[in-house]
Amino acid sequence: MTFYTLTKIEAKLVWRGLDILIFGIIFPIIVAFLFGYIMNNELFTQGNTMFLQSYPAVVTISILATGVMGLPLTIADYRHRHILKRFQVTPASPLTLLCAQAFVQFIASILSFLGVTAVYLFVFNYEMAGSFGLFLCSYLFVLIAMYSIGILIGSVVPDQKAANLWGSLAYFGMLLFSGATIPFEIFPEILQNVFAFLPLSQGIQLLKEVSLGGVLSDMIYPIVAMTACVLISSFLSIKYFRWK
Amino acid sequence: MVLKVKELSVSYGEKTVVDKISFSIQKGEVLGILGENGAGKTSLIEAVLGIRPAIYQEVSILGQSPIHNRKQVFEKVGVQFQESHFPDKMTVAESCQQWSVLYKHTEPYQSLLTKFGLQDKENSLVKSLSGGEKQRLAVLLALLPNPELVFLDELTTGLDTKARKKLWQTLRDYKREGLSIVLTSHYMDEVEALCDRIMILKKGHIICEGTIAEVITYSGQASLEDAYLALTDEEGER
Repeated sequence: MTFYTLTKIEAKLVWRGLDILIFGIIFPIIVAFLFGYIMNNELFTQGNTMFLQSYPAVVTISILATGVMGLPLTIADYRHRHILKRFQVTPASPLTLLCAQAFVQFIASILSFLGVTAVYLFVFNYEMAGSFGLFLCSYLFVLIAMYSIGILIGSVVPDQKAANLWGSLAYFGMLLFSGATIPFEIFPEILQNVFAFLPLSQGIQLLKEVSLGGVLSDMIYPIVAMTACVLISSFLSIKYFRWK
Repeated sequence: MVLKVKELSVSYGEKTVVDKISFSIQKGEVLGILGENGAGKTSLIEAVLGIRPAIYQEVSILGQSPIHNRKQVFEKVGVQFQESHFPDKMTVAESCQQWSVLYKHTEPYQSLLTKFGLQDKENSLVKSLSGGEKQRLAVLLALLPNPELVFLDELTTGLDTKARKKLWQTLRDYKREGLSIVLTSHYMDEVEALCDRIMILKKGHIICEGTIAEVITYSGQASLEDAYLALTDEEGER
C-alpha cells in the first residue's frame, strides 16, 4: 500500500514535469517514424540493413532519457531539498521513495518501448530475425545497466547543478555517439573504436546481435561490458551514496 | 520517560559542536532548546534522531533506540526540520497523502488541514504557499501520525503574529492530551508561551537549564529575554 501510493504520487509529479513525456516517450516515437521513413526508402542502397539495425537502437533512447537523465536529477533534487532527510525520520525508508521514482521512470521507458515497437511493426512492417523473448530480456538487461549509471550519477553528485551537468553529458554523449540516434555504422572506424567505450554502445551492440539472430560468441563482449557496468556502478553507488 | 539522552557529543572532524549533553523529557512536557545560530541546537536534534553520527552513552526515545528500532520509534515521533521542502509539482493534499501512508495509524489529514487553517489550500501546489503556510504544513505533517513526541526546529520562523498565536494554542491543546515536545526557538515570547523547561546552549555546552522562572532567577535579570542575553554574553567573555 505504501509503495503503491508513493508510486502513484511520484507518477503524477513526473507526469506534470513533462520532460519524460517529451524526451522519453514522444521523441523516440518521432525518431522511429523518421528512421522508418528514411531507411525504408528504395533510394537508400543499404536501407533495409540499416532499418533492421535501427530498431534495437531507437528503443534505447527512452532508457537514456529516464535512467541517465530523469533518475539522477530526481535523486539529486530530493537529496538537495532534504526530502530524503525527512523520510529518514519516518518508519519508511527514503529508499522506498527512490524505488517508487525509479519504477515510474521504468514504466515510462516501457511505454516508449511499446510505442516505438508498434511503429516499427505496424507502420513499417519490421520483422525481427532473432527471438523476441530474448530481445526483451536483453532490453531489460541494458536498462538495468543504464539505470545503474544514472543511480551512480545521482549518488555522487554534490548538488543539482552537478547532476544536470553529468546527467546531460552522459545523456547526450550516449544519445549521439553510441548509435542510439545517429547510426553507429556511419561513423569513421577510428571514431567507432573510441565510441565503443561508451556503455550504451555495447548495450546497443548486444541488442542488435540478438535482434538479428546473431551467435552467442558475438554477444559475449557486450554482455561482459554490461555486467561490469552494473557491478561497478552499484558498488560505487553504495559506497558513496549520501542521504543529505 | 519519553526521551532520555546521556552524554551525547557530535563532532565535525576536530571540532566538537555538541559536547557531552544529557537531558530527558517526561510525558506531556515541553522542552525548549535555546542558543545562537551555531550553538549546536540542530546538530543535537539530528544526533538524537539518529541521522547524524554521534557518540553517546544512551539515547532512548519512548524506551527504544532511534537507530536500532527506528521503524517502531518513528511510528510515534514527528519531526519538523528547520526548512521543509517538497517536490516542485506536489500539492498540499498529495504531501499529506504521501505522509499518511508511511505510518500505520494517522489522523485523517483533512481535519488537520482545518485545524491548521489550510483547508482551502488542499489542491494548491506546496511551492505556491506563503512561508507561514508552508511552515504550518510542516508542523501538520509532524503531527499527522498522532505522535507521543515531536521535534520542532524553529517552529514559527516566518509566521505572522496571529498565525504564531494560533499555532501555540494548537500545540497547547496537543500538550494537554499528553504530547511531549522538543522545540528550538529564537523567540522568547514563544518559549514563555510553550515551554515547561528550557536549556540554553552555547558552543555545544549547556550553560543554563531549568524552568523559565529558575533561569531568570539564576541570571539575576528581570525577564527571560534579558536573562538569555546576559547568560549567552557572559559565557562568551569568560
